[in-house]
Amino acid sequence: MLDQLQPHSAVLQAVAPLTADDRLFLFLSAEPISATPGQFVEISIPGVGGFPVSPCDLVKGKQIYSCIRKAGRVTSALFELEVGASIGLRGPFGNGFDLSQCVNRDVLLLAGGLGIAPLRALLAALLKTEQHRQLILLFGAKTFSALLFRDELVKLAKAHKLKLLLSVDDDEGLSHVTTDHPCRVGLVTSLLDELTLQCKMTTAVVSGPPALYRGALEQLATLGLPPERIFATLERRMRCGIGECCHCVTGGVYLCQEGPVFSLEKIRTLEGALE
Amino acid sequence: MKDTHLPCFRIKPDFYDALAHHLAADFEFWASLVGADGLCRLQLVASPPENTSSGLPGIPFKKLLLPPAEPLWSWDGKTFQSPDPQPRRAVFGVALCDLQALWYLDQVFAEDPLYQERRQHLLIVGGPCQPADQCRCHPDESPLAGDLFQTHDHIWSLSNRGHAVLKELAKWLGATVDRPLPKPLQVPKPRADIREPLFRASTGSAIWQQSSQSCLACGVCSAVCPTCYCYDMIDHTDLDGKSTRQRVWDNCFFSTHAKVAGGHDFRPDRAARLRFRFEHKKFGFGPLRGRPSCVGCGRCLKACPVDIDLDQIAEQLNAGEA
Ligand SMILES: Cc1cc2nc3c(=O)[nH]c(=O)nc-3n(C[C@H](O)[C@H](O)[C@H](O)COP(=O)(O)OP(=O)(O)OC[C@H]3O[C@@H](n4cnc5c(N)ncnc54)[C@H](O)[C@@H]3O)c2cc1C
Ligand code: SF4
Ligand code: SF4
Ligand code: FES
Repeated sequence: MLDQLQPHSAVLQAVAPLTADDRLFLFLSAEPISATPGQFVEISIPGVGGFPVSPCDLVKGKQIYSCIRKAGRVTSALFELEVGASIGLRGPFGNGFDLSQCVNRDVLLLAGGLGIAPLRALLAALLKTEQHRQLILLFGAKTFSALLFRDELVKLAKAHKLKLLLSVDDDEGLSHVTTDHPCRVGLVTSLLDELTLQCKMTTAVVSGPPALYRGALEQLATLGLPPERIFATLERRMRCGIGECCHCVTGGVYLCQEGPVFSLEKIRTLEGALE
Repeated sequence: MKDTHLPCFRIKPDFYDALAHHLAADFEFWASLVGADGLCRLQLVASPPENTSSGLPGIPFKKLLLPPAEPLWSWDGKTFQSPDPQPRRAVFGVALCDLQALWYLDQVFAEDPLYQERRQHLLIVGGPCQPADQCRCHPDESPLAGDLFQTHDHIWSLSNRGHAVLKELAKWLGATVDRPLPKPLQVPKPRADIREPLFRASTGSAIWQQSSQSCLACGVCSAVCPTCYCYDMIDHTDLDGKSTRQRVWDNCFFSTHAKVAGGHDFRPDRAARLRFRFEHKKFGFGPLRGRPSCVGCGRCLKACPVDIDLDQIAEQLNAGEA
């Protein structure tokens, strides 16, 4: 584990554009780092600042992949860095997804927008161990081009590793793209209509913006999924990651430590968790 | 720490001179002094004060453990470096509520390397206090931390470190006596507590809007609170190119506290922020949930420009008025 407050150095090893505002970054840490899917690290640009981010793939040795959106001051500075630049890396923090919940169960992943990032890491872990039954991913984004990693997901679907249902809020441009996989216009939660779930045998993991959580989590419970097996990863302004700075506190709980992954059963007890 | 049966010694006439002399080689001395402006401040002093109870400093001694701004690390372009070692300091005349607050901070920052380094370098000497109008402490309720506790004729050791100091000064100590710490007897009005379910049920209550209406969001209440410890991190770069990340005091009344990129704010108004502070002071966060973090020092009451009073809110909720 890296030091609690002082980062280790790392190098920006590669960058690939995904959309106008999202890029896939590969960081090479000076020290081996272990972060399980759903945990997060802090990326620092010395002199500018730091921000929390979840790896979007399995962390192998010293390599960390993250899919990062240019969202403000520090992420913008990251987008300006050249390959080879030094950065700081601190973590891992948080609990991560409990993979044992997926063993011998159907797994329903539900991602909105950038929420696909941590779920992609979870997907990689599931496909590696293959202990689940059916694997379903419902993935929605604002526009077609914002369906991050769509090509690789479609490939997995074609190889029957994954049942993939896609949606976009806005159909603009949809008719112009030659699509090799159906894509519905509507909210990602509307894709639930297309599924017949064995609810008692299903574990669901939801990742996306606060608006998605407000509807989707209780909707899954209404469908019959047990609330203790509906999971969500909660985003907050996280500064320290170690249960000190208080920014992430919700319902009296340090989300950075006990979370960011919580079951709906727990979320119901956390005042303001879905605000 | 239980304060019953703490080792207590009668002291001989020159004990305090000997203590000062013994500590002077290694420690800076800090004590609360009332300035010409009538305000009490914790400050660097040449020698330990004669008078052991000069009142509560406006800013509690958390400022020595969690300074308003402290470097976390610096970066020279190649490696991350730890901050310089901290001076050793002996703080005198710390009141009971502040010793309770110290215990609380010790729990929160138990694994924080920088806090722990500062803490190891701090020798804390408690002293008797004079209850003031705003005091709302519960002298017997919370555990307390610290190393020594002194009155004009007795000294108690509160920790192993305190014990080691006394061992060196055995010549100036009299007999051991079985004597409890001198505690404030007449606190005007102890802190009002509230049960958590009642607090939970008050989410939609108008009381939060009403109580926070006059709040200026100045954050003074948290700044003066000995158990408020929110922080932010800020980077800056020197002219020579060295970058430093500082840990700086933050404040849950500030508008950026719960705001994330994209503009979403998880505590969007003063009512939500007041409720958040109330929750922390009455119930604590994380592993310390269930134990009030408020030690009843009364600083926030005294400092708030518009007289917002957490206890009054608790009493209103308890009385079912909201
Ligand atoms: C557990 C977790 C996982 C995340 N995973 C990803 C990811 O995989 N990809 C991605 O692009 N983004 C992710 N984010 C969001 C990312 O942290 C923010 O977009 C980022 O902090 C914005 O920083 P900024 O300085 O560019 O923005 P600014 O708005 O300029 O930020 C100012 C300050 O607020 C803090 N802050 C702002 N927004 C957030 C936020 N949403 N979360 C936490 N702190 C914030 C920053 O630390 C910064 O100090 C994640 C956030 C969390 C909490
Ligand atoms: S909440 Fe007020 S009275 Fe309680 S410890 Fe903090 S400053 Fe003192
Ligand atoms: S001191 Fe008073 S006015 Fe200032 S933030 Fe606290 S409650 Fe509001
Ligand atoms: S991010 Fe600092 S307490 Fe959670």
